[in-house]
Amino acid sequence: MALLQVKNLTKKFGGLTAVKDVSFDVAPGEIVGLIGPNGAGKTTVFNWMTGIIPKDDGHIILDGREITGLPAYRRSLVGIGRTFQVVRPFEMTVLENVMAPALARTKNTTHARQKASAVLAMMGLDDLAHAAPGSLTLAQRKRIEVARALATNPKLLLLDEVLAGLNPTEVAQNLPLIRQVRDRGVTIIFIEHLMDAMMSVSERVLVMDQGALIATGTPAEVTNDECVIKAYLGEEAPQC
Amino acid sequence: MDLYIQVLVSGLLLGGVYALISVGLNLIFGVVRIINFAHGEMVMIAMYLTFWLHHFSKLDPYVSAIVIMPVMFIFGIVFQRIVVQPILATSATMKIFATVGVSLLLQNLALIAWKGDFRTVQTSYSMSSLEVFDIIVSIPRLVAFSAALLSIIVLYYFLKYTYVGKALRAIVEDHAVARLMGVNVEKHYILAFGMGTMFTALGGVLLMPFSSVYPTVGVTFTLLAFVVVVLGGLGSMSGTFFAGLFIGVVESIGGTFVSPALKEAIYFAIFVLVLLVRPQGLFGKGKGSEEVGLK
Amino acid sequence: MKPNLRYWLGAPAFLILLLIPWFFQSTFVLHMHTLIFFYIALTAVWNIPAFGGKLSLGHAAFFGIGAYTATILYVKYGITPWLGLLAALVVSMLGGLVMTLPLIRLRGPFFTLASIAFAEVLRMIAIDWRSLTNGSVGINIPFKPAWINMTFQGGKPFYYMSLILAVGIVWLTYRLKNSALGFHLRAAASDEEAAQALGINTSRAHFIALMWSSGLTGAIGVFYVFYIYVLEPHTIFSLDLFSLQPALNGIIGGMGTISGPVIGAILMTPLGEFLRFYLGTIQQGLNYVVYGLVLIATVKFIPGGIVSLLTPIIKRTPGRKKIPLSGQVEAR
Repeated sequence: MALLQVKNLTKKFGGLTAVKDVSFDVAPGEIVGLIGPNGAGKTTVFNWMTGIIPKDDGHIILDGREITGLPAYRRSLVGIGRTFQVVRPFEMTVLENVMAPALARTKNTTHARQKASAVLAMMGLDDLAHAAPGSLTLAQRKRIEVARALATNPKLLLLDEVLAGLNPTEVAQNLPLIRQVRDRGVTIIFIEHLMDAMMSVSERVLVMDQGALIATGTPAEVTNDECVIKAYLGEEAPQC
Repeated sequence: MDLYIQVLVSGLLLGGVYALISVGLNLIFGVVRIINFAHGEMVMIAMYLTFWLHHFSKLDPYVSAIVIMPVMFIFGIVFQRIVVQPILATSATMKIFATVGVSLLLQNLALIAWKGDFRTVQTSYSMSSLEVFDIIVSIPRLVAFSAALLSIIVLYYFLKYTYVGKALRAIVEDHAVARLMGVNVEKHYILAFGMGTMFTALGGVLLMPFSSVYPTVGVTFTLLAFVVVVLGGLGSMSGTFFAGLFIGVVESIGGTFVSPALKEAIYFAIFVLVLLVRPQGLFGKGKGSEEVGLK
Repeated sequence: MKPNLRYWLGAPAFLILLLIPWFFQSTFVLHMHTLIFFYIALTAVWNIPAFGGKLSLGHAAFFGIGAYTATILYVKYGITPWLGLLAALVVSMLGGLVMTLPLIRLRGPFFTLASIAFAEVLRMIAIDWRSLTNGSVGINIPFKPAWINMTFQGGKPFYYMSLILAVGIVWLTYRLKNSALGFHLRAAASDEEAAQALGINTSRAHFIALMWSSGLTGAIGVFYVFYIYVLEPHTIFSLDLFSLQPALNGIIGGMGTISGPVIGAILMTPLGEFLRFYLGTIQQGLNYVVYGLVLIATVKFIPGGIVSLLTPIIKRTPGRKKIPLSGQVEAR
């Protein structure tokens, strides 16, 4: 059975329809890429799934449970973790940043510290535990963002452009993390503009354009899809 | 029945001045996006200027507006340059404290300079009134209302049809986009502060013939102006106008039938109610609600 | 600061403070210390919601509710202030509830503004509800020295009570800050939306913080009013004395820190008293002009408060590496 079902999501901002009638399923343990040109509505889908923006229409079902009306923090507690496109570390040390979400699940600071340290070790951030995030590189801060989301014990992790703005070496360093996280049992949907990176990691790709889902399939299928090529290059493709 | 109409009329007349004071705030808050806790002190200063001009040179309060408005325009600009500009990039907390500091400073400078006495301006028309269908209409309140209405109309058309006015409205709508469209946002901050202070000051001048001034008079006006702006909707001049009238009427009714002492309680209740029920305000464009923290 | 260091500095300081009343007989010395302790306590509880970025300028409301509750119970119904203390805690929490429920979601300045209005409303009610509060005249507490009446001959008992109050409350805020709640509040102060996306119920955190803060402020109000014997609405609901002053101490010491309120209160209370009695008698209002200037200067030059000046010295503990900034350009 699918871990996540999104049904008929529609979201309007004023007169503009940002997302129209998007439905998709994600199976447990999948790594799904979400791509599309700028303004296609990808981040809006994430924001709606995590409860940051209210719905106009649509349903979201996680693990067989309807979570459509839940407030943002409850969605995190039932298992949806996310990172933000623009990194948003709290004004505390790296360790404390990762402890904060752990402390939404336990009241015990010792347990939270152990949990946070374990996540930091996995993310290769243990040396920086007591640093202030403001003093770190973007690549490191993006890792903190992922570490923080992992400390919520997500069933499903939504990664919003965790590779954007990194140099090729840093991309090469951060990329394997995505597989590594999945191998620990976390299902992943990720938004990415770096096509090579995206195609090498994702098992299935969802393509959005102008608020609609225009194609799904394996990376190979999607790259040969006429509609996708048209969306990206603006070429003529009559059947779209 | 007459009593009700009487209360309604005095409320509306007072509300006109409230609207003017709040229009000044709406302009400043909308453009510069800063909560100025010293807004009421602008009213206080204008009221004192009116009083002293009348006291020393027997200048009629309404005539003194010609002097006070440009003076306060400059005061607004100086305030923006010295106090507001340096803290624009800091956190909301710092902005609160800086403007609270200015408010404290101005109140107590007024106390030192002019003592804590209640001061009023006695003019030949202070007590005069006219009677229409058994309703007594106080002349200075009527003048205040008319002048306030006129100023708001002037400002409305200024914002609607001049280039500068359009630029200001663009900034209220979206800072970033206005900047991209080539609007010099910083320059308009200064202008908005000057104009906002000037209109607010005119409200203070108009109040003087029928009310009194003392150093802490501004505290109430700060609260009042924010209630009116939130009620009317950020960026909406007409909204602010009607909200001002509404608050004037509510205050008049509350003052007559409940207790004049509970003015602030009424403001507070309306403030909370609006933010809960319709955070974008009655006429708001929906832009202010996320600033307030509600969506 | 390492716990060890804190212990070695704190314990002797506490001992000295315990001995002071036995070496200095002057009422002035005792009074000044008592006031400082009061303000440390008051600033520290004001600081609790400030961990979450909620800045109240209406704490005089809770202070007043607490003071009135215990005084009315004692003077009108003969109930001991010690029970009144409990009642005050509960009633001022209820006051906090009335203020907090509608305002919890308001962002920064709007919350602050509404909190000022709330305190003003309560002051008006206290003046207007004459049958209960005796209006603007206020209520005098009869001088009947006895433990049960929380009234004493001489300043020593209140010196010790306020000292214990200050130490207890600072300890409490320390525990609070390092608890799960403290983390939730600090996260919410940094980024409300990100905190929620990570599973933190920020509204609940703000709410609990404000409940603690309002209840304890009310309790401090009880001690204060029994210390001065006089309950007068303009003083007890005073924006300057009990809303602005703790906020001022907090910002000057360092908002959202533990030692900030302590440092702020220690510096500002004697300064405030000095200004009130020397400058204030020369020229009414001059003391607040100085306050206004101090506030503006703090924002301009040390926005993190005095604590932020001391932190670089204290925080140089091993394990805290300085990471060099890379030349990376941030995406967006």
